Amino acid sequence: MNNNWLKKNTFHYSEFTDLNRLVKEKRKKNLSISLCLPTLNEEKTIAKEIIIMKSELMTRHELLDEIVVIDSGSKDKTLEVAKAFGADVYEADSILPDLEKFKGKGENLWKALYVTKGDIIIYLDADIKNIHHRFAYGLIAPLLLYDNIKYAKAFYDRPIAIGKNKIRPTGGGRVTELVIRPMFSLFFPELTQIIQPLSGEYAGFREIFEKIPFPIGYGVETSMILDICEKWGFDVIAQVDLEKRVHRNQDTKALGKMSFVILKTFLNRIEKLEMIDLKKDIYCEMIQYNLVKSEIKPDILKIEGFERPPIETIPEYRKKFNIN
Amino acid sequence: MNNHLDKLSSFVDAIESIKETIIANIVLIGQIPSPTFKEKRRTRIIMDRLAECQIDECTTDGYRNPIGIIRGSSGSNPPILIVAHIDTIFDKDVDHNFIVKENSITGPGVTDNSVGAGVLVSLPEIFRKLDLRFKSDIVLAGVIQSMGKGNLRGVRHLVKTWPTPIRGAVCIEAMELGRLNYYSSGMVRCEAACNISTLNGEKHKFKPNAILILNEVINQIMKLRLPQRPRSRVIIGKISGGFKHGEIAYEATLGFEIQSDSDKMVKSIFNDVKDIIEGISHEYEVELNLKTISNLNASTLKYNHPLVKSAREVMKELGIKPAGGPSESELSIFLSRKIPAITLGITHGENYHQKNAQVEIEPIFKGIAQIIGIIMSIDNGVCDE
Repeated sequence: MNNNWLKKNTFHYSEFTDLNRLVKEKRKKNLSISLCLPTLNEEKTIAKEIIIMKSELMTRHELLDEIVVIDSGSKDKTLEVAKAFGADVYEADSILPDLEKFKGKGENLWKALYVTKGDIIIYLDADIKNIHHRFAYGLIAPLLLYDNIKYAKAFYDRPIAIGKNKIRPTGGGRVTELVIRPMFSLFFPELTQIIQPLSGEYAGFREIFEKIPFPIGYGVETSMILDICEKWGFDVIAQVDLEKRVHRNQDTKALGKMSFVILKTFLNRIEKLEMIDLKKDIYCEMIQYNLVKSEIKPDILKIEGFERPPIETIPEYRKKFNIN
Repeated sequence: MNNHLDKLSSFVDAIESIKETIIANIVLIGQIPSPTFKEKRRTRIIMDRLAECQIDECTTDGYRNPIGIIRGSSGSNPPILIVAHIDTIFDKDVDHNFIVKENSITGPGVTDNSVGAGVLVSLPEIFRKLDLRFKSDIVLAGVIQSMGKGNLRGVRHLVKTWPTPIRGAVCIEAMELGRLNYYSSGMVRCEAACNISTLNGEKHKFKPNAILILNEVINQIMKLRLPQRPRSRVIIGKISGGFKHGEIAYEATLGFEIQSDSDKMVKSIFNDVKDIIEGISHEYEVELNLKTISNLNASTLKYNHPLVKSAREVMKELGIKPAGGPSESELSIFLSRKIPAITLGITHGENYHQKNAQVEIEPIFKGIAQIIGIIMSIDNGVCDE
C-alpha cells in the first residue's frame, strides 16, 4: 500500500503555533470561521471550552468569528452555563423546526450548518477535559495554509515511533481498532492511514459539509470520510496530531451500540459504491443482554440509521445562503 | 494622592468584561501540575502567557522564577513587585482537571495558588483594558519552591539578587478576599523522624514502636509552658508512619512548626524541643532526629504604615472587610529586607487544600481591583514616606 498520504498530509499542531500568521491568512482570504460544540449534558466541561476558545481565539487572536452550541436536549445546566459565558446557544429541535426531528450528534452537526455563518466550520466534542486552543487552531491551520486541504481531522497519540527503536501501536480507541480499521483494511486500505477516523474533532469548508449527507448519530464521522474521499479524493483530507486528549470513557455496551451504528453506515456506503451486494435488508435492532435477577434478558435498541441529505438541498438553507 | 480610589468600583466591571481571559489563564496554568521542586512546566506556560501579552521584558531569573516586566514612565522610580507562588501541594500524578461552572472553578490547587498565578499573568491585559500606566516598573514574578520544603527559596533568591532597590511589593494568594497580611511571625518548621532498626533485634527487650515514640514527643511538647507575650505556639501539623495494622511501626515522622512574634522565643522553644527529642532518644534507645526544614524571622509593618493604611482604604472603597493575621509566606522575605509589602487574597472558596478545592468566580474581579488600587497607591508614593 502506498503511504504517501500519511507523510504528506499529516501535521503536528506545533507547526501552527504562530497564530498571527493564521489570522493574517484568514483575513487575506477573507474567510470567516465558526466553532460548533454539539452538546448533551456537558455542564462540567462546556464552560471551560467556551472560555478558553473565546479568550485565546476571539479576544487575543481574532481567528474565530463565533462559538455556537447545539444541544440535543440536555437535562443538566449545559445551556445556562454556555449562555453565561457568551456562546450562541441553540436547541437542535428549534432549528429548521418544520423538518422531522431527530436526536443525535450528526443531527446537531448538520443543523449547525444552518445557524453558523462561517466559511470554515470546526466541530469539537464538548467533553474534552484538557481543552486547549490548539484543538481549534491546529485543525483550522491546514485549511488556511494549504490550498488543496478542505477537511482536517484530529488524532491524539503520537503514532508509530516514540524515540529510538521504540514502536507503539497507533492510539485509536477500541471501536477504531476493532471495527473501523478492520473494515477499512478490507475495503479501503488507503484509508487506514487515518490514525483516528472516529475522532470527534474536525474542521472543513462549508462548501464540503453542505454537499454531503449526515447520518444523525455516531456514523457521521465514518460517512464523512467516505463521502469526502469519494467526491473530492483522499488528498483534500489532512490529519493533525493534537497530542493528549482526556475525555470520559465509555463502557463496552455503549461502544457496542456505537459500533452497530458505524457498521450500518459503513455497509450502507459500500453497498452504494457497489462493492458488496446485500441480498436482503439488514436489521436495525442492536440486541444486547443483561442479567436481571438470575435471568438473562435482551436489551433491544432500535437504531434506524436515518441520514440527513446534503443540507444544500434544503430550501430554507438555499434561501439563507443565497444558493440558486 | 487618593484620587484613584474613586475609580475602583468602575474597575470591577471593566475587569469582569474580560473574565474569559482571566479564567482561561487560571485554568490553563492550574491544569499543569506543579509540585514544589517540579515547577518547570508551569514556569514555561507562565512565560508563554506573559510573552503573548507582549510585555516589555519576559525572562527567568537565575533561580528560574518566571518574570515579566512592564516598564514604567519615570525611569528613576524603583520597581513595584507583584508575586504569586506557582508551586502546589499536589503531585503530578493527581488529575489536575478543572471544572468551570457559572460561578465556580473546582480543581486541585485552585485555592493555593492557581488563582493567584492566573491573575498575575492576566495583569498586563487588565492594565491595558483599564488604560493604566505606571511611573514605576511593574515586575510580575511567579515564584517557585515556596511551599513546605521549598522554604521560600524562589522568592528569597528573587529579592536577594534583584539589582535595584524595591519600592514595594504585593503578594497575591487565591484565598481569602479580605485577607490583609502585613506582618509575619518568626517560625521554624521542623521534622522529627523516628527510626527503629529492624536488624538489631537483640538491642531491645521490648521492641519500641516509632509511632508511640513520637506520641511521647507530642505529649512532652504539649507540656511546654508557652508565654502569652510574645505570642507563641507549636503547631503539630503532620504525622505519618507504620506499615500495616498488625505490625509495630519501625518508622514514623512528625511535622510541626514553632511560631512566635519573637525570634528569640522561637529559638528558645526550638531548644526545648531539641532537649525533649534528645531525652526521649536516650531513654528509649531509638534513633530520633530533628531536622529544620525552613525558618523565617519575625518582621512587621506597623498597622498605621501608609501602605497598610492605604490597603485598608482601598478595601473599604470596594466594600471588602479586611482581616489581619500573620503570614508565613513570601511576605516575610520582603519585610525582613525592609521592603514594604502586604499579602492580599483574591476570592472566596472552600475545600482549601483538597482535590476538590473550589473558588467563587464573582469575587475575583473585586479582588483584582483591590490589587490594582494598591499598586496605584504604591506608584503614587505610599511606600516612599
